[in-house]
Amino acid sequence: MINLARRVTFSLATFIALAVVSFLGIDALPGDGCTALLGRFGSDTKIESCRQENQLNDPVVVRLKNWSTDLISGDLGYSIKRDEQVSEIIIPRLRNTAVMAAVAAVIAFPSAIVVGLLLGRFPQKRSSKVVNQLSVIAMTLPEFVIATVLWLVLSIWLPIFPGVSVMPSNASVLQLLPNVWLPAFTLAVVIFAHSMRTMRASVTNVQTMPFVESAQLRGTKERTTISRHIVPAALPPVMNVVALDGAWLLTGTFVTEAVFNFQGLGRLAIDAISDRDTALILPIILFGLAVYLISSLLADSLARIFDPRLRSAKG
Amino acid sequence: MKTFSRLGFMRNRALIVATLGLHAFVALLAPYLKLLSTDAQDSAALLQKPSFDHWLGTDALGRDVFSRLLHGGRPSLVIAFAATAISCVIGIVIGAVAALAGGWLDDALSRVIDFLLALPTLILLLLISSFFGQDPFVLSVALGLMYTAPIARVARSATQTLLMRDFVRVARLQGGSRISILFGEVLPNVWRLMFTEVAMQFTWILLAFSSLSFLGLGASPPTPEWGLMIAESRSYMTLNPLLVIAPIVMLASLVLAIQALVDHE
Repeated sequence: MINLARRVTFSLATFIALAVVSFLGIDALPGDGCTALLGRFGSDTKIESCRQENQLNDPVVVRLKNWSTDLISGDLGYSIKRDEQVSEIIIPRLRNTAVMAAVAAVIAFPSAIVVGLLLGRFPQKRSSKVVNQLSVIAMTLPEFVIATVLWLVLSIWLPIFPGVSVMPSNASVLQLLPNVWLPAFTLAVVIFAHSMRTMRASVTNVQTMPFVESAQLRGTKERTTISRHIVPAALPPVMNVVALDGAWLLTGTFVTEAVFNFQGLGRLAIDAISDRDTALILPIILFGLAVYLISSLLADSLARIFDPRLRSAKG
Repeated sequence: MKTFSRLGFMRNRALIVATLGLHAFVALLAPYLKLLSTDAQDSAALLQKPSFDHWLGTDALGRDVFSRLLHGGRPSLVIAFAATAISCVIGIVIGAVAALAGGWLDDALSRVIDFLLALPTLILLLLISSFFGQDPFVLSVALGLMYTAPIARVARSATQTLLMRDFVRVARLQGGSRISILFGEVLPNVWRLMFTEVAMQFTWILLAFSSLSFLGLGASPPTPEWGLMIAESRSYMTLNPLLVIAPIVMLASLVLAIQALVDHE
């Protein structure tokens, strides 16, 4: 437990340090909320009065202090460009991304564990080799290629799913659903390949261990050997990958969302960056950092929960 | 033939080398191949199917797809080479110094590496490209610095492996200083242990730049670049699917061949 407390403290310190660095880094970029609103060619007097109004002329230390006290009290800030509270812009997009991520996770993780187990048990089968090599290809290709291929095949050649999504960012979940499939499939392909290969490697590793051999020599049924001995021992590294891929599903979806014009957090991040809407970019970066740090912690803790050997181990 | 599965090409060394050779040949010599212009627009021949004049047809602006395709790897390859070089030079030195020095310096450098690994790479690249312009030089440096942390981490553990080897021990027992061991023993040998990592890094950087181009913040139009070509042609996929399939095949064959080569080592 002491170790966990130390890791939480370290993650928190990393978060604070990165948050300050991000604030200062974005502050150092040419342009602010007022130039974003009025354009780079807005008249100097207008930009100046806008800055006065929004306290952008205060020294950077004062603004950092105000920003961090606001953040601690739950206020994410205000986008001058969009004339809206940041939390009101982000929350519906976050929900859309979460729905998409959930669909991808439900499709990919359970099937990856089953397929990984089968591939690990029967590595010599021809179908095992084909699936394995396909997963290498899926892991190597960038998401925009996978997304474009899926679109071409499942929306144009076989018109099953709508390609580009046309929906407001605050559409209801039912309105959202038809548009979720193709981006969710794209993400599912990527995380399936990751977790399936980890499961396969883990099963291959575990099934040569003495306790599995011992179970087999005792005459335990194949089914019981798999469910009681192989799977529990093989799962911890997979849980690690699941936690990290879960974080990626929430924060690494820019490209996929851009391909399908899906109104999620990634699409919003790209829009905010092309608008140079710094007030909106910063909270999105912080969200990404928080999710990454929490999932790293979670990945370690999950491994500990699932693997009894690690419970008392130090390190 | 039994082992030659349908995807056996990933294991066929001759095919891998031929694919990489062809990519290198095309990338190096595309400007000298007497191809049609990559920029000339023919408004009378938009979105043409393949023909004798235009081997792969034309795009929505009437430009020759075949010529753009052969030129389309050059921007990403140049940037990937430059960025990989930058990340290797800095990363290997940092990693090697951390492993050699040990103690507090190692701890501090390892913390910095962990810290940098937590940075969201793609969003930072988008920011840099959006605020500082889509300049190939800026993007190479940015990509290089951003991919330094993973190289440094691998270099650190590779150096630790090297330090166990007899020839490094001999150099130490002969009274060699840490600096002389760094330059005499570690740096000349550590890259052998890192070949796989560096090759993988190269493909990641290449794909990161292609993704940036696809999002409109990498190569700027009218530069022919595969990611940008895919983005530009997506709206015309129904009319001429070849417009997106051709650059996908080029990009995929390049990165898969590199991946397969690495798997062989």
